[in-house]
Amino acid sequence: MSSPGPVSPDVLAVRGLSKAFGAVQALRDVSVDCRAGEIHALVGENGSGKSTLLGIASGFLAPDEGTVEIAGARLARHSPAAARRLGLGIAYQDYSHVLDLSVAENVYLSVPADERPPYGQMQSWAEETLATFDLDLAVTAATGSLSLAQRQLLEVVKALLTRPKALLLDEPTTALGPEAVEKFHALVLEQAQAGVGIVYVSHRLPEVLAVADRVTVLRDGVSQGTFPASSVSESGIVALMIGRPLEVAFPDRHGPGADTEALLAVAGLRGERFGPIDLTVKKGEILGIAGAEGNGQVQFLRALAGIERSSGSASCDGERLDTRSPLGPLRAGVVLLSGDRRGEALFPVLSVRANATVQVLGRLARLGVVGRRRERSAIGELTGRLRVRMGSAEQPISSLSGGNQQKVSLMRPFLRGDVKVILAEEPTQGVDVGARFDIYDALRAKVDEGIAAVVKSSDPIELAGLCDRVIVMSRGAIVEEIPGEELSERRIVEAIVGSRRSVIAAETRQA
Amino acid sequence: MRRGWLPLALMTTLIVVLGGYSEVQHSTFLGKLNLNSLLLETMPLALVSLGQTSALLVGGFDVSVAALMTMCVVTASFTITPTMSGIALVPGALAIVGVGLATGVFNAFLIRVLRLPSIVATLGTLSVLEGASLLLRSFPEGPINTDVTSALTAGVGFVPYAFVGVVLLALLADFWLYRTRAGLALRAVGLDATSSRRLGMPTGRTILIAFVLCSVMASVAGFYLAAEVQIGSPIIGNQALESIAAAVLGGAALSGGKGSFFGSMLAALFLTEIDNVLPLFQQPAEYADMTIGVLILLALVLYQAPELVARARSGRRRLPVAEAQI
Repeated sequence: MSSPGPVSPDVLAVRGLSKAFGAVQALRDVSVDCRAGEIHALVGENGSGKSTLLGIASGFLAPDEGTVEIAGARLARHSPAAARRLGLGIAYQDYSHVLDLSVAENVYLSVPADERPPYGQMQSWAEETLATFDLDLAVTAATGSLSLAQRQLLEVVKALLTRPKALLLDEPTTALGPEAVEKFHALVLEQAQAGVGIVYVSHRLPEVLAVADRVTVLRDGVSQGTFPASSVSESGIVALMIGRPLEVAFPDRHGPGADTEALLAVAGLRGERFGPIDLTVKKGEILGIAGAEGNGQVQFLRALAGIERSSGSASCDGERLDTRSPLGPLRAGVVLLSGDRRGEALFPVLSVRANATVQVLGRLARLGVVGRRRERSAIGELTGRLRVRMGSAEQPISSLSGGNQQKVSLMRPFLRGDVKVILAEEPTQGVDVGARFDIYDALRAKVDEGIAAVVKSSDPIELAGLCDRVIVMSRGAIVEEIPGEELSERRIVEAIVGSRRSVIAAETRQA
Repeated sequence: MRRGWLPLALMTTLIVVLGGYSEVQHSTFLGKLNLNSLLLETMPLALVSLGQTSALLVGGFDVSVAALMTMCVVTASFTITPTMSGIALVPGALAIVGVGLATGVFNAFLIRVLRLPSIVATLGTLSVLEGASLLLRSFPEGPINTDVTSALTAGVGFVPYAFVGVVLLALLADFWLYRTRAGLALRAVGLDATSSRRLGMPTGRTILIAFVLCSVMASVAGFYLAAEVQIGSPIIGNQALESIAAAVLGGAALSGGKGSFFGSMLAALFLTEIDNVLPLFQQPAEYADMTIGVLILLALVLYQAPELVARARSGRRRLPVAEAQI
């Protein structure tokens, strides 16, 4: 099968890839190719299948259907080692560092075995190697002690050390400041000039379009086409990235009046991946938090709930929030609906009843004994109102669908009389369309009672439909605030991908 | 090796202090005879602890080692009988190691192919081996060749050659672990299997080898035990928890990736020393168990002190943030 190859042969070609995780079809018949010396941008919303595509191309995941060719050779066994041998390098979004080992040891491990120097010369070798990439790190330091930006750059350097023919970069700039991004792009262009084919995944459209030759857009696991970067506009790409039909009807928005008092006030709050953040949320308001994954939204929300460490101040209803532990916010009426239902929000083996009443057992108990009847009557009306579909309140919650599980965790703030702020993290993740509507309804109904809600979601349709106001976070800072009358899916997606703006905003914020 | 010296220093200190105190109280401790028997008694535990360390290094446990040692003793009562001599003993000895090899491959199969947690997998193996031993010998019978015993107890002065061999083996293994690329790769797999796999390391094979090695070392330990008891006893091995204790006292982390073979060897010596000196003080054996338990807790707290201090400074435990899945 030897043929006189074209001038720029494909260094990576994936054809007809399909992959499902349970009921979710992450990829459907996707084909992408990357030529030598090309920078190929791969863009799409959260959950559009980009990471799955990279996982398959790098051998970490096995596709259900389809083939991967690296430098003209078919990847027969789906293992990262096999892909590396064929000439594939990848910089993972969440890194491939062994944090307990030193920088030198990590660099050493990333190089193919036959290119490693003798063990004893590891440190001086690692120092020289990093110096050629202009990366100034203490090679004896534990990798876990590096900043996120340093880890990110080290990850790219490690991928380059394998001398790849095809290089995959998965969101390589999420932790980088504007200057570092520029330096990083110089490195990427240099590699492309040397003949490496680069697949560059990023949420930051202006950034990636500035260096890309071609762009492939993914939406809901389906390729929307590949285009020369010079022929498409940013807004054209955004249109391809979104464009799902509006599939649910959202509850009416009343919104807070202009003179409504603020319920939640945050001033100068900062934590490991975010801040400083200032904002207020009024009574009767649902505030949305948008942004590409990993830009500090989750950490910010969790800091308010007292789970992540933070400094600065937050107050609820005029009283300062004690965010040193989850207990402080809970006592003040600030409750978190965790996005990790199975791991954090629910007790999977316990019954629906027990899961619903677990936070209010004190109120339902007499002389320390919880009365079943009191429990049942407390939740009976609510299961109807939230339209929880179940056989009986005694069945284990794990036997319910994701949507109904979420409704049960939503019952908790309803059962507690003293809730003032609901912090919801991905409230409809893994929830079918019908149940979504019930959850939106329930949230809005609770907020209309005179409380406030903060909703972190990666679904711009949801944010646009449900919220009274949306803030957009990038690199841990609020880069844009979209008022209710301007809210639309397109407006939110544009704000998320518009990283030029956000870079400028971040700079002014730092200044 | 960052902090890796602490367990070695602590174990050495404890061995010397306990020995010194015993000698001051009862001048028989440093007698040649007692030292010789101490080192000989240490052998099985030391060997199995080296094996356990390799399982712990990849983040696993092997609780089947004691049952395997028993199985080896029972096997020896068939394959190393008193009627044999000289070269005829070699196949019998190899058969014992073969039992270890087979057990190791079986454990590795359960863990790697069937994806069972190592503690559950080896618990199952433990029961199978216990039952098999009792089927083969329902009570202690079948004398074991004493030539083997004398060969294994031979030595210079009070030091058996075999003990020198174990010390050298442990030192070599540590050198391999901390001074070679293969050792670094093993530690990386134990510390972070996902990252290691991403870096193209053969994580599955590494874990397989670690568990096979663990069982093979346990079978050699069983060989020593056989030479010691000289009869096919189906209820002799009880070193499963002790071997984990020794590895942990020697610096191994239960989460994997950290540990020292020499440290485990020293800890095995120390644990045996406690048993050894107890009769001198005419204390019941229960005190030994309690002492060992308290010491393990103290040592663990001491080894983790830097992390504990850091955590206390930072205020509290951080809950993991749910990460987006690919």
